[in-house]
Order: sequence, then structure tokens, then C-alpha cells
Amino acid sequence: MAASTRPQVLALYRAMLKESGKFSSYSYRTFAIRKIRDTFRENKNMLNPEGIQVLMDKASENLEIIRRQVLIGHLYEAKKLVVESKELH
Amino acid sequence: MAARVLARCLRSQQPWSGPRAGLGAGAWPRAAGTVTTSYCQRVCSRRPPLPGLTAQSYGPIVQTCRQYSDMPPLTLESIQERVLYVLKLYDKVNPDKLSVESHFMKDLGLDSLDQVEIIMAMEDEFGFEIPDAEAEKLMSPQEIVTYIADKRDIYE
Repeated sequence: MAASTRPQVLALYRAMLKESGKFSSYSYRTFAIRKIRDTFRENKNMLNPEGIQVLMDKASENLEIIRRQVLIGHLYEAKKLVVESKELH
Repeated sequence: MAARVLARCLRSQQPWSGPRAGLGAGAWPRAAGTVTTSYCQRVCSRRPPLPGLTAQSYGPIVQTCRQYSDMPPLTLESIQERVLYVLKLYDKVNPDKLSVESHFMKDLGLDSLDQVEIIMAMEDEFGFEIPDAEAEKLMSPQEIVTYIADKRDIYE
């Protein structure tokens, strides 16, 4: 299997951040965004193609999890937290 | 037609679009049936009057008004100002080094992941999507300004 290219990684990064922004719960949302940013930066110097592929597969799996959880989160929406009141979204 | 009448009645129940005499006259002229009006009046008379409105302002004919939000027109300067403002708020950008012409990677020392985040912040700020293929070409504040101006048909 061919290793993922740079644009593919960036597209996945973008898709994951975008999807995480849709979490209705403040703590899930901020955690997901923080975790995605940190993990991509942690591994940004990886050169080994197999390693990149393993991480990409893991990320795609996690993207699907985020999608499902966002949907479930919208079904059981709670009130906004006090800390969110000044946020734009 | 029935849906429209129902929507109008529901709308008049909501606190933010309460009846305002004189405003919005002529909106939905076809929906000015007697049934609608009397139903709206009944609904309105059950609600306590708003502080600024006297009982007279309810009037015999209840009108709803549409409230649109307005946006100041975009100009090249305002786009540039907003782009730089968003960049200043991004934690990895040094506001002292930032200028309109600075290249994200060469001058500001950002990586491609930061660039993706900056483009997403621009999408949030200006409220439209920038496709991947074009997003990766935007490498300086000036390019972002030009791109947004092109998309919004702003030339002066």
C-alpha cells in the first residue's frame, strides 16, 4: 500500500478539525481539537512510510468516531456552559 | 398557503418578533385572512404587554415584521484589517514580525499544519468555505486578501 502523501495528511487534518468543531459539548470540542493538534504536531517529523500509514489509518478511524459522537452529542444536547457565553460558536 | 398561515401565527408568538404596529406593512399580503388575524390577536392578547409598548400599539391588524441582519460592505482595507486581526490572534504568529507581505513559512516560521489552521480561521471569520486545492496556495496575508476579494467581487 502506498504511503499517504502530504496533501492527504493535510486534508485529513483539516477534516478532523472541522468535524471536531461541531461537537455541541464544550469539553469534548476543546479536547478533540487540542488532541488532534498535538498529535499531528507530535508526529510531523515522521519519515517512515509504514509508520505514516499506520497513523493515517488510526486518524481516519478516529475521524469516523468523531463523526458518530458529534451526531450522538446533538441528540443529547445540554445547556451551554458559563465559560462558553462569550464564544462566537 | 396553510403552512404560511401557520408559520405566521407561530412567528407572532415568539418574543423577538412580537407585533409592531406600522412596521413591516405589506409583508405576506396574501396571508391577511381574517382567521389568521383573529388567531394572532388572541395569542397576543394572552401575552403580557412588552414594557415599551402600550396596549394601543397592538392595533386592530397585527403585523409581523422581518428583521434582517445587515453587514457593512467589504472593502479591500476592511478585508486586510480583518485578516491581520485574525493572524494576530493566532498564538504562533509574532505580531511584531507580521506584515501584509510576510510569507507564512519563510518569514513567520509556521508549518503546513499552522497554515491549514489559519485558513480555517479565515473561513470562520468571513463565513465561506475555501476548497483544499486553493487553500494550500494561500501563503501570505496579501494572497488571502486577494482571494477573498476575488470571491466576493470586490475590486476597489
